[in-house]
Amino acid sequence: MSGWDGFLHGLSVATQPGVLIYCAFGVVLGTFVGVLPGIGAMATISLLLPITYYLSPEAALVMLAGVYYGSQYGGAVASILLRLPGTPQSAVTTLDGYPLAQQGRAGVALFTSMISSFSGSMIGIFVLIVLSGALARAAIAFGAAEYAAMMILGLVAASTVGAKDPAKSLAMVVLGLILGCVGTDVNSGVQRFTFGQTELMDGINLVALAMGLFGVAEVIANIHAAERTGVPPRVALRELLPSRAELRRIPFPALRGASLGSFFGALPGTGSTISSFLAYAAERRISRHPDRFGKGAIEGVAGPEAANNAAAISAFVPTLALGIPGDPIMALMLGALVIHGVQPGPLMLEARPDMFWGLIASFGIGNLLLLILNLPLIGIWVSMLRIPFRWLYPAILIFVCLGVYSVRGSSFDMFAVALIGLVGYALSLARFNPALLLLGFVLGPLIETNLRRALLIARGDPMVFLQRPLAAAFMIAAAGLIVMSLVQVIRRRMRA
Amino acid sequence: MKRDIPDLAGGVILAGIGLFVSLYAVDHYEIGSLRRMGPGFFPAVLGGVLACLGVVIALPALVRQGPAIRIAWKECLAVLGAILVFAAGLDRLGLALVTLISVLIASVAAPDRRIGWRIVLALTVTALSVAVFSFGLKMTVPLWPGR
Repeated sequence: MSGWDGFLHGLSVATQPGVLIYCAFGVVLGTFVGVLPGIGAMATISLLLPITYYLSPEAALVMLAGVYYGSQYGGAVASILLRLPGTPQSAVTTLDGYPLAQQGRAGVALFTSMISSFSGSMIGIFVLIVLSGALARAAIAFGAAEYAAMMILGLVAASTVGAKDPAKSLAMVVLGLILGCVGTDVNSGVQRFTFGQTELMDGINLVALAMGLFGVAEVIANIHAAERTGVPPRVALRELLPSRAELRRIPFPALRGASLGSFFGALPGTGSTISSFLAYAAERRISRHPDRFGKGAIEGVAGPEAANNAAAISAFVPTLALGIPGDPIMALMLGALVIHGVQPGPLMLEARPDMFWGLIASFGIGNLLLLILNLPLIGIWVSMLRIPFRWLYPAILIFVCLGVYSVRGSSFDMFAVALIGLVGYALSLARFNPALLLLGFVLGPLIETNLRRALLIARGDPMVFLQRPLAAAFMIAAAGLIVMSLVQVIRRRMRA
Repeated sequence: MKRDIPDLAGGVILAGIGLFVSLYAVDHYEIGSLRRMGPGFFPAVLGGVLACLGVVIALPALVRQGPAIRIAWKECLAVLGAILVFAAGLDRLGLALVTLISVLIASVAAPDRRIGWRIVLALTVTALSVAVFSFGLKMTVPLWPGR
């Protein structure tokens, strides 16, 4: 099935009422949590994971993905109105969005962010269609060595690119890999690190881990922080329309941002947050009036917002085509696919075309819905910012408990969530990134299996990772990243 | 004396975990060879790597001023307390009662000191969770004490 045929077939899947309604629910919920500072896409997707057991795999994935890209739309709202990023991806939007709001142009900033987000997503979808099919076909030739090397590169990239302290990021990834070892070893059947607990035989529950690290820990950290929001200004519908001069300044920054975003989103380790910062820097560099940036430049909203949405979509390229998630949210998506018995990777295109193309087509539909819904509903989203966090978090906690319990009716998992939540809070206090732990946790078993297989085939010769050209390229790139970040750290220490 | 306490503690704990994992794997599971890795191989290596990273994190933290951190004790206790009570009480007290109690415990951490809104919130969340999970999703949990 070629790209466009596939996309058309996907549309027929994604427009089924049973899928469409979850798509709509996902994007609306995504916008909602994106708008609210204090709860993000990561926490919401973990919260929804247990509910997806009640849905068809297509509906489940379409909904979860909708939450993710929907949150990118919502994230800009609080950034622009309150200078409080609703999501990390929209942090850079505060730089020019908030000054615009102070000049009474909040509506224009919101319009710019919505329209740029939409165009970014569309370009991201195009890239996804072109790349993922081709990549999946190429990846059929991948052996275990290539897979292992590629995953190692992904983990190294995620923990070194843009990290302040690469040692701390790497430590989180490795801790995640170790936690991934808990449970029955697939090769030998040996119980590893279960300490006699039968509940741990299947490994640590992904739902419990994600909910503890993101749901519980974020609630603890945000009860106080999220309460100090200011009062957002009211935005009337007709304030949304930009003047003609402002309108002209949207398309090219959005296009450039989208191209940057779809490129970096598809690479492992560089997600939508980094893309949005890169897009902002690029806009400022090529602008003829760089001094306007930071004082309310439309370009400074359009570029990053297009970039983070494009990156959110193109991040699905490695996840769907190779079965290798490039960032923690994609790791959760991968986990959701596996929960539903879908093995992501090159074979998914052949084995589950409905799932593969339906998901991609749903991105198009979901983004269209977001555009149609969000422009008229903007007043409602703005008023959401007035809900105090104290009305929400107790409900979130109950939802966490019942969600975890519903997976297999085990009270053990609820106690585990409390413990993991405590650990997650401690990690965020000490500035360790728990998202990388989750990435390691999901990839751990995959890496171990492929590593063991590759070495078995090569009769125990570790040189196999350097003799096969593609595997060697991945390994060298990973080594290069480690060396680069080492140099950076040493240079910073010398200066300090 | 300059110390970066969060990094120092974090590094030491991670190094400890790494060391434990490595030694435990070597002691309890078969290591095997590169060609036929046993179940202990991967965790033993990872534990070693984590121990090294822990040391790398902790050492420079000895001679560096760290950022001040504020531990949200009250929030932590209220949130974890609510979850623990919920976990322990779900089977015995039933969904309705345990939700009510847990929401009240969780709301202790809120900066608003008044009482009225807590009761309204607890009743609302209870009604919602019973409606969604018990009637909507038909989850098999006892609704009231002693079924």
